[in-house]
Order: sequence, then C-alpha cells, then structure tokens
Amino acid sequence: MRSSTEAWLGAARDTGHLVAFRARTVRRRRASAFGLAVALVLTLTFAVAPNGLDLEALGSPAVEHALASVRGNLGAAFAGFLLLAISSAMGSGGGRELLSRSEAAVHPISPLTEHLGALLLAPVNLAWLVQVWGLLAVTALVAPSGGLAGAQVVVLAWVLAATALGQAAGWAVEGVRRSPHGVLVVRSVGGAVAVVLAALHLAGLLGPLVRSLPTTWIAETAQTPDWPLVVVVLLALTVVAVVAGARPAAWALGLPPREELRVQSGVHEARHAPEPRWGSPDRALLRRLDRASVWRSVGMRRGLMVLGLGPGLVALVAGLEWSSVMVLPGLTASGAALLFGVNAWCLDGKGMVWRETLPVSAAAVFDVRALVVAECMAVVSGVTVVLALLRNGLPPLVVGVAVASCWLVVVVQVLAIVMTWSVRSPYGVDLSSPRATPAPHAAMAGYAGRLSLVTTLTALLFTGLSAVPWAWVPAVAALPFLAWSTRRLVRARRRWLVGDERARVVLTVAAV
Amino acid sequence: MTQTPAVAVRGLHVRFGDVEAVAGVDLTAEAGQATALLGRNGAGKSTTMKVLAGVVPPTAGEVTVAGHDAATDALGVKRSVGYCPDVGGLVPRATPWEHLQLSARLRRMPDWEERGRDLLERFELGDVAHRVVGGFSHGMSRRLSVVLAALHEPAVLLLDEPFDGVDPLGVDATLEVVADARARGACVLLSTHLRDLALEACGEAVVLRGGNRVAAMRAGELTGEAYRALLD
Repeated sequence: MRSSTEAWLGAARDTGHLVAFRARTVRRRRASAFGLAVALVLTLTFAVAPNGLDLEALGSPAVEHALASVRGNLGAAFAGFLLLAISSAMGSGGGRELLSRSEAAVHPISPLTEHLGALLLAPVNLAWLVQVWGLLAVTALVAPSGGLAGAQVVVLAWVLAATALGQAAGWAVEGVRRSPHGVLVVRSVGGAVAVVLAALHLAGLLGPLVRSLPTTWIAETAQTPDWPLVVVVLLALTVVAVVAGARPAAWALGLPPREELRVQSGVHEARHAPEPRWGSPDRALLRRLDRASVWRSVGMRRGLMVLGLGPGLVALVAGLEWSSVMVLPGLTASGAALLFGVNAWCLDGKGMVWRETLPVSAAAVFDVRALVVAECMAVVSGVTVVLALLRNGLPPLVVGVAVASCWLVVVVQVLAIVMTWSVRSPYGVDLSSPRATPAPHAAMAGYAGRLSLVTTLTALLFTGLSAVPWAWVPAVAALPFLAWSTRRLVRARRRWLVGDERARVVLTVAAV
Repeated sequence: MTQTPAVAVRGLHVRFGDVEAVAGVDLTAEAGQATALLGRNGAGKSTTMKVLAGVVPPTAGEVTVAGHDAATDALGVKRSVGYCPDVGGLVPRATPWEHLQLSARLRRMPDWEERGRDLLERFELGDVAHRVVGGFSHGMSRRLSVVLAALHEPAVLLLDEPFDGVDPLGVDATLEVVADARARGACVLLSTHLRDLALEACGEAVVLRGGNRVAAMRAGELTGEAYRALLD
C-alpha cells in the first residue's frame, strides 16, 4: 500500500504529465505566450499603479468618502473573493478538468490528480481573474507606499488560501449533490443561505457581520509591519485546505454524477412545431433546438443561474452604486459567453454533421445560433441590471441612458467577438460534464482576459459619460461601438457562409 | 435514351490543408440500385460520402447528386439526400423525436409522424423516442442515424458504416431500409468495412484505396480473396 506522501508525489507527477500533454496541444504558442505576458503586465499594473494616485490631494469630499468606504470594506472584499472561489468550484461540479471525462476514462487518473488539476485550473475563470485584479488594485489604493509590497504578498497568499478553501468546499458540495436527494439538499441549503443573508441585510446586520470576519484582520494587518505573520498563517491554511480538499474530492468523484445522468436520460414529451406570429417557422424550430441544447446542459444551466444571480445579489447586498454597477453587465455577459459562446457550434457536438445535412440556409443557422448566444448574455446581464435597479431605484436620466447604452454595447460587442472566434477557432468538445470547458484551457484563459479587458474598458468609458450633463451623449457614444461590432458580426457571418470554411468548422466541432 | 445516374462523381478531389483525403475518385450509382463503397481506413470513403451529402464541398472535380451540382447547389443536394454519418451524427441534448421533427419540417413533410413512429419501432427505439440522445449507447445512436436518413424517403440514401456496433436486429432493420429504398427507386450508397454485409445489401461494389477508386464490379464478383488483393 502506498504511503500518503507517495500518493501526493504520484498525483503531482501525473498532474505534471497532464499539464504537459495539454501544453503540447496549444495551437498558437506565440499568441498564448503574448497573452500570458499581457496578463502578467496587467496584474503588475493593478498591483502597483493605483498606489501612486494621491486621491486625497484632490480635496473632493466624494472621493474621500469613496476612499474611506474602500478602506473600511477591504476585509469584506477579501471575504467576497472566498465566496467567489466557493461558488466557482460549486458551479463547475467541483472544479475544472485537465482531460475531459471521455478522454480521461482510459487512463489511471486518481481523484488526487483531479483535485490538483482543478486547483491549477481555478484561475482559468473570468470572475477569478477580475476579482484578483480588483483586490490588488484596491489594496494598492489604500496601502501606504512603504507597505505596498507586503500588502500585495498578503493578497496573493489570501488568493491561494481562498482558492484552496473554495476548491475543498466545491468538492464537498459536489459530493452532497451526487448523493441521493443531494440536488434537493444543495438547492434548499443554497436558498436558505440566500434568505438568511437577505434577512441580515434588511436588518442592517450583514455589513457589521462581514466586517467582523477574520478577513478584516487580514486586510488590516497586511498594511502593517506584521504582514509576514499573516503570510505564514495563510500559507499554512493553504496547505491544510489543499490536503483536506483531497478527501471530499475522492468522495465526490467516487459517486455517480446523478444530476448529469438524470439530464442525459431526461424525457421531454413531444411538442407541436412552433408557429410564430412573425418570422420563419424553420428558424423558430432551430431556435427551440438550440435553446434546449443550452438549458438541458447541467453546466450551462448552472453557470447561467450563478452568473445571473451572483453579481446582481452582490450589487444588491453590497449596495453598489450605478457607477460601480456599470461594469457588471459586461462581465456577466462575458461569463455567459464563456460557458459556450466562445465556441458556439460545440452546442451540437458530433451532431454538427447531421445538422449540416439539413436543407436549411447556412445564414439561418448562423443567425439563430447568434441569437441564442445573445439571449443568454442579455438575460444574465439583464438580471444584474434589474437587481441593481431594485437596490438603487431609478437612476437620473443621464445615468439610465448610460447604463442602457453600456449594456447594449457590451452584449453586441461580446456577441461579435465570440461569433468571430467560433468560426475562426472551433474546437471539438464534449460539454456533457459541468467540469468541461468549451475550449482548451489556454484558449479559455485568453478569451477570459480579452473579454474582461474589452468590456471593462467600455464600461469605464460609459461610467465617465454618465457624469456629463447631457443625456444624449452616452446614446450617441454607443453608435460607433455598435457599428464596429455589427461590422465584425457580419464579417463572421460572411465567413461562415463560405462552404469550405463551414466544412472546416463542422468537421472540427464534430471531431471527424 | 440513357438514364442520368443518381450519383455521378468525376475526378473528385478533396483537400484539407496539405492532406488530400480524396484524390480523383470516379463513381456512378444508378437509381434503384444499392452500391457498396469499400476500402480500408483512410481510403476516402467517408469524405466522399460527406461530399455527396453536401457537408464538404469538393476541392475539384464534378459531383452531381440527384441532378444537383454539389459545388454550387448544396441545399438542393441536402433536400434530395438522406445521410447517416460515420460517427455520432446526433445533437446530444435533443430527443429522437425532436431530431425527426426538425428533419421533417425543414423538408416540408406534412404527415411525417406515422412514418417516424413506424421507423422508430422497426429499429426498436420507440420506447426512447422522447429521451435525450446523450445517454444513448453507440448502437442506439447508429440505429437512430439510419432512421433519420430514411425518414423522408430520399432519392439518394447515403449510409456510412451503418452496421458499426449495431446488434443483429438493428442490422436486419437497416438491410430492410436499404431494400425498401431500392424498391421505391432510390439510389443507395453504403460504406462499410464489412464485406459480407455489403454484399448482402448491395448489388454493386466500388473499392477505394488511398483516395482513389481501384475497382468497380458486381458485388457477387467481389470474393474475399479479390477484396483483400484490392486492399493491399
């Protein structure tokens, strides 16, 4: 029998082999290296640049108030990162997989290796990336110049610890979900937690409670000369969480994935063919099939629900103002696109060849798929905006126009980008498991980085425009964005209509 | 007066980047006949079938299917053809009935339900008509692919490895579909590695090797020895 140390060393070696295997399949090595360099430069910029800003010198009471609020809620932001790590791991069925289930089935891959692989892949997640950058930027903003390096080391140590803790919690929840009545238990507990949080918020107790968490001590001590102590504690916590996470991982992976199996053998009674009042019945039928492919997937359904409610609830509970809310629709739309939109044709899997033999115009197929991708993005980002509306009430006209314009722009922007990627770089993937991703991990990291950058910059522009006194300005500013994205979308559509290009996409996605 | 062949392929080339999957195949298949397409792995059978189904455009050569030019009228080809692809061929989160409904509606079949039900029963898929196909076994998926290809009684029926992983009852049902198609005057092209089943189903045989046609003969003339000699 192998000792525990041998098991861990073996798992680490296997993880290395799997990572090397995946690395060898990276198609565009230069682009990947460039993307990685950009991500590192951005991380460094967020970690350092805000520290040089002397906002107090502006003498603006509003800015000073905002700065004090950021300083007072840094611990809450740290706690928010832990919440994100847990919900990400929960949403992805315990954690991402280095090899798809069908590929991995023939190899002796242990749950420990799966656990380490999921930990390594946790950063390949738009929300994770954005939150890390946010934490670094906020810490740089409030930390004293002399203590910046120490504070940022603490942030990185917290990121490691929270990711490992989140992973362990994610496996535990997945284990419960895979047990008899587990789905019901997870949903009930999730609902109860949401109700308790809402009640605490309404009673005005949530803020003080979050501020009394140990994360506030971490955030405050990080800015003092005692920061090495925090780093040591956090690194020890990381090791404990990684080791402890192996147990729920082994438990969860040893159980049958009940929800997926139920969905895979799900019965859907026949419905009459749609007869829309306007538009073509063919397109309506294609749309119904595409929508079903999205909502009958455990991973996509879960992801869309988390993306729809998560950021909106944060806006609701944390009391984000419209200027902060503006960035959320772009990020949630990007998150929705990352569920399948970046490789939109993978929705059909191997059925793509059969779909291509149907006597329907290629233009109709493209239009319907683009519409379904856009619907998913609009719905999840729309929920965020509606929840923010509940929190903040109706905004002033210019802010309202800016929010609506920004929302429309980012949805069209992301749609144009992901449909271009879908035609240009298709991948054959099996999305039957919620742990699967629609593209290889290196590509997903690149997609996540680019979408978050583009949508955040767009949101920042509209945030600035919401401060002007003329309500028409944001609407007019949206026009060039919409024109450019529409042009890009039309170009992707034109490429799809070329028979050779379409055949390449079809054969790649169907992996034949 | 000579009858136009249902499938006429002359000098077909298909390239994927640097790889030439099909290198100058000539092929004719008549209405009312079943032709077996035989050859080793990588001989170009499945790629030729995909061209005939309108999925892959020909790089060079002339391909006419039921009077439609595959290079310029892919939609016309798709209307005339029923195609069972060699791998998969099913949308993973849709039910068999939804597959049939989509195929029938796009081909403007007003009363397709009865035929759909009958085919599903013949292939023993009636019990799972409303179950998502993602959980189907390989054999069940192959059988459903044949049902989908046969539903609209196409002028040209293309079956690519329809017997792969299928149980004897499924094989019988597939042979029945081929016989029915021939009887109503459709052209059947059947690609397989299994010579015996090919001979049982088809009257003609074409052997491909390295992307080229190396022989075309009456199926009965293709003895085991002759077949092996053509493959080497």
